[in-house]
Amino acid sequence: MERKRCKEVVGMALEEKIIEEIIQKAPYVEGNVRRAKRIDLKVPADRIKEFLELIKKEGFNMLIQISIVDWIKEKEFEAIYQMWSVDKKVHAFVRTRIPRDDAKLPSMRDIFPVAETYEREAHEFFGIIFEGNPRLGPFILEPREYEKHPFRKDFNMLGYVKAVYGEDFDRYDENKTNYVI
Amino acid sequence: MEKVEVPRELKEEAKAHDMYLYPIEKDTYELFFGPQHMATENFSIILKMDGSRVEKAIVNPGFLHRGFEKLAEQRPYFTNIALLLRICVPESDVPENIYSMAVDELVGWEVPERAQWIRTVVLEMARLSAWMFWIFGFGNELGLYTAGQWAVAYRERFMRLFEELTGGRVYHIYTIPGGVRRDIPGDKWLRQLRDTVEYIKAKMKDFDEILFDNYIVFERTEGVGVMDKKFALDHAVTGPNLRAVGIDYDVRKDDPYLFYPEVEFEVPILKEGDSLARALVRRYEIEQDLYILEQLLERGPPSGPYKVQDARLKALPRFKVPKGDAYAHVESTKGDFGAYVVSDGSHKPYRVHIRGPSQSHGVTVLENLLVGARLADVPVILKTLDNCPPDIDR
Repeated sequence: MERKRCKEVVGMALEEKIIEEIIQKAPYVEGNVRRAKRIDLKVPADRIKEFLELIKKEGFNMLIQISIVDWIKEKEFEAIYQMWSVDKKVHAFVRTRIPRDDAKLPSMRDIFPVAETYEREAHEFFGIIFEGNPRLGPFILEPREYEKHPFRKDFNMLGYVKAVYGEDFDRYDENKTNYVI
Repeated sequence: MEKVEVPRELKEEAKAHDMYLYPIEKDTYELFFGPQHMATENFSIILKMDGSRVEKAIVNPGFLHRGFEKLAEQRPYFTNIALLLRICVPESDVPENIYSMAVDELVGWEVPERAQWIRTVVLEMARLSAWMFWIFGFGNELGLYTAGQWAVAYRERFMRLFEELTGGRVYHIYTIPGGVRRDIPGDKWLRQLRDTVEYIKAKMKDFDEILFDNYIVFERTEGVGVMDKKFALDHAVTGPNLRAVGIDYDVRKDDPYLFYPEVEFEVPILKEGDSLARALVRRYEIEQDLYILEQLLERGPPSGPYKVQDARLKALPRFKVPKGDAYAHVESTKGDFGAYVVSDGSHKPYRVHIRGPSQSHGVTVLENLLVGARLADVPVILKTLDNCPPDIDR
């Protein structure tokens, strides 16, 4: 039996055609093909809602996840809307960047109702405010941990643990810096 | 408190029997469902009840939050395997595999065929043992305990095979970036696996008699928790739950990985979208998984190494991964399970984000489906959605 490589099953022509069609309708987008079944789309933050509405009409009908990456050196958050098209069978990364100190994005709740959960999570862990989502608040963490935003890169994990658990956390030594937790 | 008038038909019927029905007082109350309740498995739902009907449901997760994604940023790449697999307890091989596949893509490794074959067999074994565990839960919620106890006994066979292959029963820590941790023990193990597949195949008709072809199950599940196509797509429903609505999406077919392009199988699809359809899709998938394992065993493991031959693998703690990001996903029994890994070129991942299917099934979908359901149907809806709280919390 001849081994069919996953990457050769579908050629790259489909992905390039999808990007061409999208750029025709939304010239503000930068797009490139990552590999078979993966495309990258960079969108400015102020047009993200308009673009997701457009891409939903183009067939990307499932919002799989909203991943946030904290690029602390560049002082930016990157929000990656992971989209899957059930008909075209292509995964799209819709990327946008927002400043870290004024982290605000429009809520996608009315386009994709599932975004509500993803936004609640991103708000709790990173402190991004999603305008238009009424349920932002303590979700997974305890209420006392709310507004600490632990997934930010500048969150002091050991310091927080010591402040909360105090004497119980006796292994912690302030003079040591090379902790592997 | 609001007074509710007795309907006229009821009043007349009562009069015929020389009885009088008093107007009742509408009484809504809050009910904390879980985390001790067996059906919810470590998360709770706050139900606003009107009698025995649910008026509003608010999901309250977080009991299992252990900050795995944050911890993964503090550890070297290979150490994270032992951490991330705890995100999905019944099939711990799924997080191992998605993370390993994402790291493989980042490094640019072409995993050897033998390793791909072993990974596929392990994933299918994990799927089957998770199905058995699901039958246990589903049977218990309906009061059919016998089916559940059989299923757990059959699952034990897979646990033993896993123990021989990996050294662990529940958490295997077996799939690593670049291949698998060690080779298959030998032909005896393959024979045992073939016997187990045959055994479970023969036993499925018992499950049909007692569970899937049972009038009680039909009565309890038909028309309960109905979804339509638009709702399912808008709420990112994946896996068997999506296929029960009539949408054909299976990661193994649509974004093929490992050895799946080489095996034949069908994707069972039903249209109804209720709890019965969701249960039956799962029943048909067990058959397909047994068929996939049969084909893989018939083909036999390809010869060659079981992990990539790379000198960098000798210095694991300082193993550096090139800059970039990758997303890998597999079809788990619960749905589309994905991992997004970002590397900044150092020996620790810059960000790991796991996408569990229950993030949609367990929060927005559940909150919507529960409205109007009876209290007795809450566990049925929970179990047919196959909700797994650890991947909401992580």
